[in-house]
Amino acid sequence: MDRRTFLAAAALSVLGLTATPLALKPSFASTAPERLVKAVKEKVGVDLSSIKETDKIMIQAPTIAETATAIPITVESSIPVDQVEKVWIFADNNPVPYVLDMTVTPLSGKVFVSTRIKMGSTSNVRAILKLKDGSYVMAAREVKVTVGGC
Amino acid sequence: MSLIGTGILRVPKEAKKGEVFRLQMVITHPMEPGTRKDAQGNLIPAHHLTKLVVSYNNREVTTINMGGAPSTNPFFAITVLADESGVIKIDYEDNKGGKWSKDAEIKVV
Repeated sequence: MDRRTFLAAAALSVLGLTATPLALKPSFASTAPERLVKAVKEKVGVDLSSIKETDKIMIQAPTIAETATAIPITVESSIPVDQVEKVWIFADNNPVPYVLDMTVTPLSGKVFVSTRIKMGSTSNVRAILKLKDGSYVMAAREVKVTVGGC
Repeated sequence: MSLIGTGILRVPKEAKKGEVFRLQMVITHPMEPGTRKDAQGNLIPAHHLTKLVVSYNNREVTTINMGGAPSTNPFFAITVLADESGVIKIDYEDNKGGKWSKDAEIKVV
């Protein structure tokens, strides 16, 4: 191996190393557990893969859960309340992924719900919103769970 | 006396008209999801809340349906738009037929 090919190989391997984390970052549809896909189909009524991601939903949750039996989760959205019909929350890896759903009315003032949930293992917490125009949007946030609480 | 079903509903004493205030509640309930096993390996039967309805002067604010995932003695917080003085009421029920309710007054200025 001469110097030129060595440098080219080195550059490629460095590129490979830096590129891997991006490639490994889970995309929603491919990593979704089967029972989550089933639960979404049953509760929301549409395919998980057809739901668009949005940055208008804020999920507040701890990065690492201290107690997996009561993880505080807050779901909030900047989408005006009169455009939203319903909110669902799912915990991807739980034995029963469905957590809750809630209706939203103009009396709610804004899209906001806060609760504490149990989680079995590290996974995404996912919020799905049904909008008045019939479309669905979602957001997810990972919570690391060291000792399961299910 | 069993404490199951006892609720605490926290409402601000006063709210300005048009203000969006936060409503907090805690309900005493085991919230057993029905997927856990006891020490002998027997499945613990499910016993959890299924429905929580919040109403404001008899108008529905929100209906929350849930599975067994919320924590034991679950806490919920939602927002409500203050428009008139009156009563905020929560009605909740579990999968074993238990039904309870709790109310609180709010003054809107």
